[in-house]
Amino acid sequence: MTMRSFFIGLALAIAVALIGYEANRFVAYLIYSVAISAIGALSLNLVIGFCGQITFAQGALVGVGAYAGGILGNAGWGGGLSLLGAGVFGALVSMLVGLPALRLRGLYFAISTLAAQFILSYLFKILVPLTNGVSGLVVKQLSLFGRPVGNDQEYAMICVTLLFLSWAFIGRVMQTNIGRAFLVVRESELVARGMGIDVSQTKLKAFLLSGFFAGLCGGLFAFTSRLANPEAFEIGLSVDQTAMIIVGGLGSLAGSVVGAAFVTLLPEAIQRLGELLPSADLISAFREMAFGILIVLFLLLEPRGLVALARRLGARREVASSSAVRSETGVVESGVAVSVQNRREL
Amino acid sequence: MLALQLAIAGVATGSIYALIALGIVLIYKCSGVVNFAQGAYAMLGAYITYFLLRLGLPSIVSVLVGMVLMALVGMVTERLILRRMLKAQIVSVMMVTLGLLIFLKAVCLAIWGPDQIAFPQIFPSGAIDFAGIFITYNYIAAFVLASALSIGFLLFYRFTSLGLMQRCAADNSRAALAIGIHVSNQVSIAWATSAALAGLGGTLLASLGGLSLGISDIGLIAFPVIVVGGLDSLAGALIAGFLLGILEAFTEGILTPNLEEFLRSVSNIQSVGALQQVIPYALLVLMLLLRPQGIFGRRGAERV
Amino acid sequence: MTLVVTDLSIHFGGVIAVADMNLEVKPREIVGLIGPNGAGKTTFINCIAGVNEPDTGTATWNGREILGLSPAELLRIGVARTFQSVVSLHDLTVLDVVKLGAAAHAHNAQGFFEQLFRSDHGRDDELCETLLKPLNLVDVAYSPIQTLSYGQRKSVDLARALASEPALLYLDEPVAGLTYQEGMNMSAVIRSVRDRFGCSVIMVEHKMDVVNATCDRITVMAHGARIFEGTPAETQQDPEVRRVYLGEA
Repeated sequence: MTMRSFFIGLALAIAVALIGYEANRFVAYLIYSVAISAIGALSLNLVIGFCGQITFAQGALVGVGAYAGGILGNAGWGGGLSLLGAGVFGALVSMLVGLPALRLRGLYFAISTLAAQFILSYLFKILVPLTNGVSGLVVKQLSLFGRPVGNDQEYAMICVTLLFLSWAFIGRVMQTNIGRAFLVVRESELVARGMGIDVSQTKLKAFLLSGFFAGLCGGLFAFTSRLANPEAFEIGLSVDQTAMIIVGGLGSLAGSVVGAAFVTLLPEAIQRLGELLPSADLISAFREMAFGILIVLFLLLEPRGLVALARRLGARREVASSSAVRSETGVVESGVAVSVQNRREL
Repeated sequence: MLALQLAIAGVATGSIYALIALGIVLIYKCSGVVNFAQGAYAMLGAYITYFLLRLGLPSIVSVLVGMVLMALVGMVTERLILRRMLKAQIVSVMMVTLGLLIFLKAVCLAIWGPDQIAFPQIFPSGAIDFAGIFITYNYIAAFVLASALSIGFLLFYRFTSLGLMQRCAADNSRAALAIGIHVSNQVSIAWATSAALAGLGGTLLASLGGLSLGISDIGLIAFPVIVVGGLDSLAGALIAGFLLGILEAFTEGILTPNLEEFLRSVSNIQSVGALQQVIPYALLVLMLLLRPQGIFGRRGAERV
Repeated sequence: MTLVVTDLSIHFGGVIAVADMNLEVKPREIVGLIGPNGAGKTTFINCIAGVNEPDTGTATWNGREILGLSPAELLRIGVARTFQSVVSLHDLTVLDVVKLGAAAHAHNAQGFFEQLFRSDHGRDDELCETLLKPLNLVDVAYSPIQTLSYGQRKSVDLARALASEPALLYLDEPVAGLTYQEGMNMSAVIRSVRDRFGCSVIMVEHKMDVVNATCDRITVMAHGARIFEGTPAETQQDPEVRRVYLGEA
């Protein structure tokens, strides 16, 4: 991340936080929903987009954070510590989920994460003394610095702030040798090993870091909905957040946020449109259809996400050379100028 | 005799799991892709067959036409979508099949609604008495059909020339092209066959337990099946399907009640919920740790 | 600072890839390792670079046994290598790769939080000056690898290996895929690297003109074993070498 993108991000964060603070309940709700999902998307992008490890366990990891945050909050821990605890638990469980990556190759590891997702989901439901099972765990109001958080607008501010801090932190990590190691491991473990990178440690670090932010996402989720409910943390959430990073752009920080906004706001928009339809079932069917089609269309037409799409449309205006460049998916893009400055994504 | 009863129920559902898993392995061997939409194919097949039955067509015709239509669906999705993603990353291809799953579920939701529907009888009603246990003709028919098609498919794959072409295309598409096999046609055939088999599986499931959107969940049970059986082994999928069906039945019938009794006596936990759905996944994890290539898979592709 | 390899052998299945290979590399020496295809040159390098584990033999660097050490451990004690094929490392810039190379050396290892809070822009200039300039890579320092030409990518790989401050450097076909002119440039670069950094070099290569121009000494391998060793001039004359390459009676 360059200084420029950092300050743009900061300005945007401040602007949105202020809007959230002054707006009505619904807008504030939308803002914090997007912000929370964006934190989740950032965490997932760390492990899939930057480090190349496919995982389906995101929903369960967010759930771990939600329950951890909720339980700690109910036990009397302050808001900040509860959220920190949510992150820590998320990180620890994430590392467990990531362990098989040290021995299993791509697809097999992905299936093991699928198993982890189902097993954790199941545990949320039956460990009733801890999680209150299918009834859901009621979470007390978040209190920050001794003061209870009263309304949606305040939540919006808090969530946007945490999103900005998460984004900045992860961006900074990607500028260190650890971040670079993620990228090399993603491209080729053989080359990484030859360069002296400890591949196993690198993967575990990716899972650890990703798990922390997934846990944070879950904690915020629990506090804003005042409930931790097993149904919210099933494979559907994993699919949602994976859709966010694919639509936004794999391996792109800005893309994670954009994708989160897109995937969160789209159903709302469609709901409005669908209100023309006769029944609630049809509306939800319509919404799901649109979601499915959009995922497929995006993957077919612009697999590198909205951010790449925007860059492509922007670059068309300033075509410097028309040399063909082979992009990551092996598809040759002709007529697009590749900016030779620092292309590191925001 | 509980054990026998459970075994029979397990074998029947297991045969259906095998049918679905077979389709996933077939596609995996051919396209290198794990088809998350396989469960959706099963669900769609069930709904289409239901539609045909409601039109008044005789059972056999409905089931067969349903399978043919599903074959078309499989071919169309392969041509329209998967073919364009040959060079994409694996995450993307998996997500596309997930997107397809979401879309197909939504379509069925729109047309038939979210509630469970009673599936018309396609097999004669009645049951036989076997060693004191009642087995409905439905169960027997489901088992016979599913097994016959699975084994029939395996034989086809192994002994016919079309099957040989399928194996060549799956094994080494370049070499297959070099000797004149139309690989992309073979891929379409694989997808069409998988979808047809899945459609039949869904129909059979519906005939046993009712028709609903939940039939698509069978796609998820397939994962433990293919890992235990071996991701690239068709015979493995068949055998593992039966094994897991039986395991599920035994878990539900014997393990769950006993475990709950035990847990209630030592803790506050009252129920173990859908343990039979999770046990296959625990087995999957165990398999990956001990023998990742599955019972029948080939070593080598799975370790880093 | 000497490398001594004794009686190194390795087989794959029924094929004996390297048979009782011996090699010694003295300080500041550039040794060329040549031989026909399938002679076992790259396999030999892989054995002493921590990629394959040989069946028999020893290899000592400064008296310390290096067989069985991983590439990461080797880098920490000053043994680096380049690769035959250069994988595109999507989005990583030249400087990113070079910094990763630098991080491999023990005394460059930085803690996580240290890296997080200290900017390393200062190092950029230093790295450019010492490593990128001699390889003509300063202009593309901030460019992603995937936009560079093949020859440039090989130079980046070399820079990466050099960034770890090696005392022993294995070059695996450094001029493969390069034009004659690029090859000669690389030859000059390799000699200057030896002069400036004082490292020893083992160079596996096929292009004889580059080998003759660069190496102090040549070892010839065929069928997994050493069949000749001598200066470039001597190597060209030796009848056994000619027979192995040209099939003369």
